[in-house]
Amino acid sequence: MKKLTLIIALVCLSVSFILAQRTITGKVTDPKGETFIGSNIQVKGTNIGTVTDIDGMYSIVVPDGSNTLIYSYTGYQTKEVQIGAANVMNVTLDEGVALQEIVVTATGIKKDAREIGYSFAKVGKEDIFNGRSPQLAQALSGKVAGLAVYNVNNSVDPQAKIVLRGYRSLTGNNDALVVVDGLQTTATVLSVINPNDIESVSILKGGQAATLYGSAGINGAIVITTKRGTAGKLKVNVSNTTNFEEISFLPDFQDKYGNGSHYANSFGSAGYKTDYLERLKDNWRPFENQQYGDAYNGETRIVGRVLEDGSQYNLPYAPIKDVRKNSFDRGVSNNSQLNFQGGSENSTYYLSAEHNTIHGIVPGDKSERNGARLAASSNYGKLQTGYNLSYVQANYDRTSSNFYSDMINTPAHVPLGDLRDWKNNKFANPNGYFNDYIAVPFFTKDNNRNNYKDANIQGNIELNYKVSSFLSFSNRIGVMNNSRTQKFRTGKFIHSDWAKNKAYVPEPWAYANDYDGINRAGTDILGSVTDRSTSENVVNDDLQAHLSKNIGSFENRLILGYNVYQRAAKLIQIGSNSVVVPDVYNVSNRQGELTGTEGNSLERKFGYYADLTTSYNKFITLNATFRNDNTSRFYKDYRPKNNWSYNYYGAALAFVLTEAMPSLTSNFINYIKLRASWNKNGNDNLPIYGLDLTYPNGAGFPYGTTVGLSVGDVLPDANLKPEFVTSKEVGAELRLWDRRITLDATAYNQQSKGQVITVKVPNSTGFPNLLINVGESKNWGYEADLKVALVQSTKLKWDIGIRYSYNDNKVVDLFPGVNSFQLADGFSYANTNVIKGERFPLLKTDGYVYAPDGSGRRLVNATSGYPLRNTTLLNRGGVLPRHIAGASTKFEYGNVALSVNFEYRGGNVIFSDIGRQMTFTGAGGWTANRDPHIFENSAILGADGKTVSDNNVQVREPEYGLWVDNYRLISENFVTPGWFIKMRDINLAYNLPRSVTSKIKFLEGGSISIFGRNLLTIIDKSNFYTDPEFSNVTDGGILNSLLNGTGLRNGVGLNTLDQTPPVRQYGFSINLSF
Amino acid sequence: MKNLFKYFAVATVLFIASCTESFLDVNTNPNSLPTATPSYVFTNAENTTANIFVGGGTQGVNQMGEFWSGHWTQSSSYISNPIIFGYQFTNGDFNQWDPLYNNLEDFQFVIDNADANDQKYLKGPAKVMKAYIYQALVDMYGDVPYSEALKGVATLAPKFDNQKAIYENLIVSLDEAIVDLKANAFASAFTSSDIIFKGNTSKWVKFANSLKLRLLVHQSRIPGREGYITTELNKISTEGSGFITGEDVGSGGSGFYVATAGKINQIYGLWGYDANGGVLALARYNRPTKYLFDVLIAANDTFRLKRLAYAKGGENPSTPGKSTAAEIVSNYVGVPFGISSGYTAQASSYLGPSLIVKGEFNRPVILMTAAEIQFSLAEMKERFTGINIAGTSQSFYEEGVRQSFRTLGVADAAGKAAILLSSGIENSDWSASTNKLQAINLQKWIALTNFSGLEAWTEYRKSNLPNIPQSSLVTDSKRPVRIFYPNTETGSNSNASSAGTIDVFTTKIFWDID
Repeated sequence: MKKLTLIIALVCLSVSFILAQRTITGKVTDPKGETFIGSNIQVKGTNIGTVTDIDGMYSIVVPDGSNTLIYSYTGYQTKEVQIGAANVMNVTLDEGVALQEIVVTATGIKKDAREIGYSFAKVGKEDIFNGRSPQLAQALSGKVAGLAVYNVNNSVDPQAKIVLRGYRSLTGNNDALVVVDGLQTTATVLSVINPNDIESVSILKGGQAATLYGSAGINGAIVITTKRGTAGKLKVNVSNTTNFEEISFLPDFQDKYGNGSHYANSFGSAGYKTDYLERLKDNWRPFENQQYGDAYNGETRIVGRVLEDGSQYNLPYAPIKDVRKNSFDRGVSNNSQLNFQGGSENSTYYLSAEHNTIHGIVPGDKSERNGARLAASSNYGKLQTGYNLSYVQANYDRTSSNFYSDMINTPAHVPLGDLRDWKNNKFANPNGYFNDYIAVPFFTKDNNRNNYKDANIQGNIELNYKVSSFLSFSNRIGVMNNSRTQKFRTGKFIHSDWAKNKAYVPEPWAYANDYDGINRAGTDILGSVTDRSTSENVVNDDLQAHLSKNIGSFENRLILGYNVYQRAAKLIQIGSNSVVVPDVYNVSNRQGELTGTEGNSLERKFGYYADLTTSYNKFITLNATFRNDNTSRFYKDYRPKNNWSYNYYGAALAFVLTEAMPSLTSNFINYIKLRASWNKNGNDNLPIYGLDLTYPNGAGFPYGTTVGLSVGDVLPDANLKPEFVTSKEVGAELRLWDRRITLDATAYNQQSKGQVITVKVPNSTGFPNLLINVGESKNWGYEADLKVALVQSTKLKWDIGIRYSYNDNKVVDLFPGVNSFQLADGFSYANTNVIKGERFPLLKTDGYVYAPDGSGRRLVNATSGYPLRNTTLLNRGGVLPRHIAGASTKFEYGNVALSVNFEYRGGNVIFSDIGRQMTFTGAGGWTANRDPHIFENSAILGADGKTVSDNNVQVREPEYGLWVDNYRLISENFVTPGWFIKMRDINLAYNLPRSVTSKIKFLEGGSISIFGRNLLTIIDKSNFYTDPEFSNVTDGGILNSLLNGTGLRNGVGLNTLDQTPPVRQYGFSINLSF
Repeated sequence: MKNLFKYFAVATVLFIASCTESFLDVNTNPNSLPTATPSYVFTNAENTTANIFVGGGTQGVNQMGEFWSGHWTQSSSYISNPIIFGYQFTNGDFNQWDPLYNNLEDFQFVIDNADANDQKYLKGPAKVMKAYIYQALVDMYGDVPYSEALKGVATLAPKFDNQKAIYENLIVSLDEAIVDLKANAFASAFTSSDIIFKGNTSKWVKFANSLKLRLLVHQSRIPGREGYITTELNKISTEGSGFITGEDVGSGGSGFYVATAGKINQIYGLWGYDANGGVLALARYNRPTKYLFDVLIAANDTFRLKRLAYAKGGENPSTPGKSTAAEIVSNYVGVPFGISSGYTAQASSYLGPSLIVKGEFNRPVILMTAAEIQFSLAEMKERFTGINIAGTSQSFYEEGVRQSFRTLGVADAAGKAAILLSSGIENSDWSASTNKLQAINLQKWIALTNFSGLEAWTEYRKSNLPNIPQSSLVTDSKRPVRIFYPNTETGSNSNASSAGTIDVFTTKIFWDID
């Protein structure tokens, strides 16, 4: 019966709504008569609203019973106007005195910006959308002071690491927490969320801001609020974006020398030729991958050997321009969006669908993402409800081979572009391809694939019950489930006997010590298949009681909260190292044993918290927080409670000086806010199940029926407990010059003691690693954010913004006796380290031995003239950028808007392993000097070990030995400053004028834009290698990262050939609303 | 609506109340075992030792020794490796340390937990294996953590003990091991957990004695050490169990290895074939040296030549164990040590059937050869007079040669060895050899080829024999006499500096006197 009443009531309501609504139109202007574009008009007490158009005009449908409209515009006083009899209402807004800006902070608590006592940044949907990036992480790059996005690569499934205010934990997680609509999730979300569904992103930079999220928020949080729909009639928005990408730059190549290796008789052996040109000739071979042959001269030469059918691949011995670049495709991606929104007084809805396809620059790599999101809200008197549900399905089809590396291994005169069709082109087939060591990259990429499919479902329900004017309850429960099914496969390929043993080099190109058969063909590819399935499930519930009571001049609000969090993850993998019947990729189609892995994790947390905000006369606000957390990561029934249950707390003070002393306010000074905060945050930064020393299977075990176990490599200390981080922050916000200048500045300092870290202890202890509370690190920095509205007239608007942040850190203390240890990523010759008294992570590489006279000259061997290699790895500098700056400008004139964002990062070094690899192949432009010469800037050390004399010794075998056997091994050669300047995005938009839209009945608005991302990149002139933004940060193994819910590891600063080359992107977009 | 709220409130209260301690009790690792029976750890530890010695690629323990003792070099189908052949290595290269100490920890776990788990019989074998590993560590690094090592959190910066003292202590610990071995026979159900001797403790005692002999023979050129060595050898003689004879000490073998990637003999799986019999790219890397071939051919020792190496072109896949090319001397092309050009893989000889035969993935990994023991005894008898062990230096020498032929798989080993032993050729035929110690040295050097690279390098450093040519990548006469402490240890162990400044060309191991 009750239900029926409700339905009848709803029907009546909607009927009356239809019958009694009226339309109000009008114009909104400032006191000088200038019109406002985009000022807000809202029907009081409802969610119905609209904005003024380019001419300051608006039109709004007002339901019966509503009698007031609210007009607002940023920087101006909000005005409420009673609706009279007239249907036209023209309104003038006065310049504002106090600006109220509502922001979303931790756990979805909305606060007046004036009350916030810590640094805080908000990125609006326009900024996110500017470059039309289909990925949120990339869209945030450079837009917030203190935020750094580390891109791993540009594949069709880009991964990123988001770090706020640098690194704090020596070996643990330093990634920002990702929160969607109040629900703690994981970095997984970043790649699946549709950026169009985002209303805004709040960046809570310090631990202070995230106290209420519990430990997960200790590195700051990215708080994403999705669109909920606005009341009013149904609005439909359709957009389509087409995006192209192409390689922006490749490493520096040499195009002087063709393929060859060290075939000439070595120095000291019989037959050694003293003329280097003769040796170069001897080094040439038609089947070499290395590029140390004689100089290109345009004559016709064979590439590879004679094929089984007698054919020869004869080509001009001359470089082909841009041959490497042309072996990549131009990437194309397309994004279609459709969304509906609308609602009534009591309910709103938002429904969106997305279809996104990407064809990457690596031929054949593609991905697809389809998603839908439904958000709705509904009010039933005192009960307000909100719902959010999204489903995203994504498919990825990528090569697991290293296309970039294979491509670089190809000499410049081989037209790779002609060799794409390895199935039909006999010279591209593995049985006929010239290269003895590397198969044709197009075959390898087709033969090694990684296909995976993600299904991501997220939902939450939010209930809000207002008991009285001073008490309300809310509960938000959310779920995120991500499942991935993945198949890695390598096709079977058996080489022909001809290729294995008979293919020969014909005269006149044959050499005496050549052999028949393609070296590479000696190893058949037996194929493999690995099938993997992973799932991740997060459930989160937040219950809050909100109390508010004003006592005299004090406005008080207290939030009492309770949070439960559970995360479960699972991985199952089976595989086979052979494939019997070609092209059938099922593990049952195999010979030999199955391989397999299983991993499971489950963690739970619950916490109680209180958040008290007290404002005095609106100008001084104290915010105090307290939280008690209980975590399963540290729980064992025999452990004392204080090892797994811990408290932390903080306080923040915001003081609006201009309100306390209105006399300070002038035409120039509009608003001054000062703020300070102090927090002590607890963190359960322990790998899952980290309390247990385990005894895993020994490598390879079980061998048939034989079992073998090993003592685990990480010894946990018995007294492990959560770590604590103390953060201090002061800052100021200023608004000047009629609010046209906004300046926000912050200084902060974080101190982390007793960190839970995996210390690399001496292996002689029997354990490589110890998991223990030790170490102390400091992390500090400054941030400034300046926004200026340079021109603010009705026709022309010009805003500029500049952001700068400085961040540095220091390892204050490690375990007694331990002064340094190496992080997990890296090579034996170049790796990142944690070193007491230094910044971290710190790059160490081997390098030159320098003359002891301080001249900076590099010592060489007095006989061979080769540079000497230092036998100890030395510090090269920190790999995290100290300086991050962003600049943006937005220019609007009439219907045209242009906006640009730039980013600079610097103050760090990187090591590019590409440099080492390309010295090996001889592809690198820096290896082009193959003429006899004396090693540059060098000297010879005397027998006494002190005196230094000038070096007059020419390097032995400059055409090969110098580069491959010597220069390549000196890793210092490939260390460069890591700075860059990038034009992150640029967007030129044209909004369809009213004159056009009004002619098309159903069309409400529309825009066309062209955009680009990373169109311009400037890097250090010594960096011949790649985009310094890229990092070979690994995920620490799929099992580890999935089970722990952590993203990429901390070892930035090392580049490899595993990345695809940097790209620039550009495209166009059409957006229509009805 | 009010009712709904009530339900909601009640549900919430219940929900909060449910979150007690037990809610958090999900922290038991479901992925890995929380405890281990010593026998399982022992099996893995034995296998790991074998894998560390012969695995690890070009910078592995055995490979490093095979290269630096002049047995092997690389083909020029691979880019020349200046780290190995130009001696341009850093403290980031050749890290044998970390895996070996990791392996020692597993043996230590067995020793510490054997009694409590009623597996006392594992203590002796684990102690022998510990001594085997420590001997290798000292031979590569000199002073290493020993007395304070393997104690976990209790000693986080173990001190570096004097290398000579470690050597002496290893003898003592082997005596302890022998006592344990004699007192505790393997439980019959657990003999298969021992993949070296299948639980045969008397063979373990013989292996312990053989290891003691190895430790002593390394010290034989140190002036004034004669008394100590003689005493210790006579103790072995008194103990009476003798040495490993007529067979090699090997780990794994058939019944253990499985034809699956990662579960086959590591040498086979690294330098030979994959689990499915597919030839590996790295089969084209290692090459026997020209010098090795010159030595064998000069003595007309073609029986062993054909077992140590395949003729150029490598193994014939259709007749496993035989070369593709005719097995005539001119087809055996050794590669000059360290040369970076002119010797492509196909144009030179492959590692031979004594090590790699297609399909024979389940041969044991050899940890010590019978021949080595015989040559050590020959050297001891030749150098020192007061040794009570029965036999003469000649008899031990000749048995060593016979055992070498047997281990290499020469058909009719004893008969073929007899031909060499009576050939009248210097350093082959005992009677025809003018310098007996040189003859022993050379024959031992040949016998260690393919199996005991580290031991061969140790013998070379100890005696500076035979006259292996310098690497062609090196411009002077310097050769490494040790390797660097790894940066993983020096960075984290504050006691590492006590070992002094390391110069890999001059900081010698204590038994390397010149």
